[in-house]
Amino acid sequence: MRTVESEIGAILAGSISEITQRSIFRRLGGMARAPLQHLSSQDRHAIQTELETSVRLFAPAKSAQLIASCARALALLGAPGGPAGPPAPAAGGNPSVAFARGAAPVTLGALGPSATPAAAAPASLGADKRLAIDSEKDIASARLEAWAEAVRIGLSKFTSVKVATAVSELARNIVFYAGRGTIELRPRQDTRETRLEIVAADQGSGIEPEKLDAIFAGTFRSERGMGKGLVAVQKLVDEFQIDTRPGRGTRVSCVFRGAR
Amino acid sequence: MKPRDEQELPIIRVRGCLLVSIQTELHDRLALELRSALMERVRTQGIRGVILDVSWVEVIDSYITRILNDIGKSVRFMGADCYMVGIRPAVAMTLVEMGVELDAVSTALSLDAALEKLELPR
Repeated sequence: MRTVESEIGAILAGSISEITQRSIFRRLGGMARAPLQHLSSQDRHAIQTELETSVRLFAPAKSAQLIASCARALALLGAPGGPAGPPAPAAGGNPSVAFARGAAPVTLGALGPSATPAAAAPASLGADKRLAIDSEKDIASARLEAWAEAVRIGLSKFTSVKVATAVSELARNIVFYAGRGTIELRPRQDTRETRLEIVAADQGSGIEPEKLDAIFAGTFRSERGMGKGLVAVQKLVDEFQIDTRPGRGTRVSCVFRGAR
Repeated sequence: MKPRDEQELPIIRVRGCLLVSIQTELHDRLALELRSALMERVRTQGIRGVILDVSWVEVIDSYITRILNDIGKSVRFMGADCYMVGIRPAVAMTLVEMGVELDAVSTALSLDAALEKLELPR
């Protein structure tokens, strides 16, 4: 059976690692495993848009060629009568908000008419994203999602890898110690800088004060290395804050800054 | 057949050394399997070096570092050397900033360089 996963996987093989490919397919959800001939034209365009973002990110040198091959596999080239462009952006209201990743399995942060909408987060930076972290599989997709977001808002290549690494640490802590939780990505921009705020929250067992002190003093190390993970995140980010209460959960907020 | 991400990592023997190209998400069980498979082959096949190729790994966090370091430690206990090759510049810089320890594995720029180093008389 020809599926997006089998056909596109064959094209990306050798250019994008299997780890990354799996994350990309996971972001496509059920569409990745559906038989190609069952996909609607709109689905195919959504998939192509998603692939273009990922290919530009992970295989910049060969992106044009790979994107063309993907379009061919999805039968998007020379399809007579098909809609010419990608589907309309999912975000309502502002037509200039072009979400490159329409198929991403994330829920937009339920901001609503908040107190500081336009000034803190201009439309060009996009809305907040909340990623559910429920199992080990979500670690890799959260990492990829954060990386793509960092690149999209214009953080440097190096900073974007740091963002991906920090989110990896935070997602691991959630899976290993709380079981489940969320990671929120909040792009912000003002006149001086572009920032990516990351908030990892869980309702796990929390961390006792003595343990927290030991973690940041470098004297504590859990079996799977949580101490190292939190300290590593703290060293990578520009701002770091942890709120934790035994029995209530943990919330880590951090910020990466980029120049404007 | 196991799904792709459940499969154990292929270990390739080349010039008296073992080569593992890490192209899949490492997790606890996979790492333990890899470590014991490597140790068994070091013991029975007189292997002098183990080379872990991470050129496909785009992000290495402290957990993955610890897994790789533990593999290096175990291999060294058996009397072989452990090299990590192909580490990406941004990954290397991130590891430095995080201050994680990778003291049980040596590094080399490429597979060729690691093989060369392993072939020098010790």
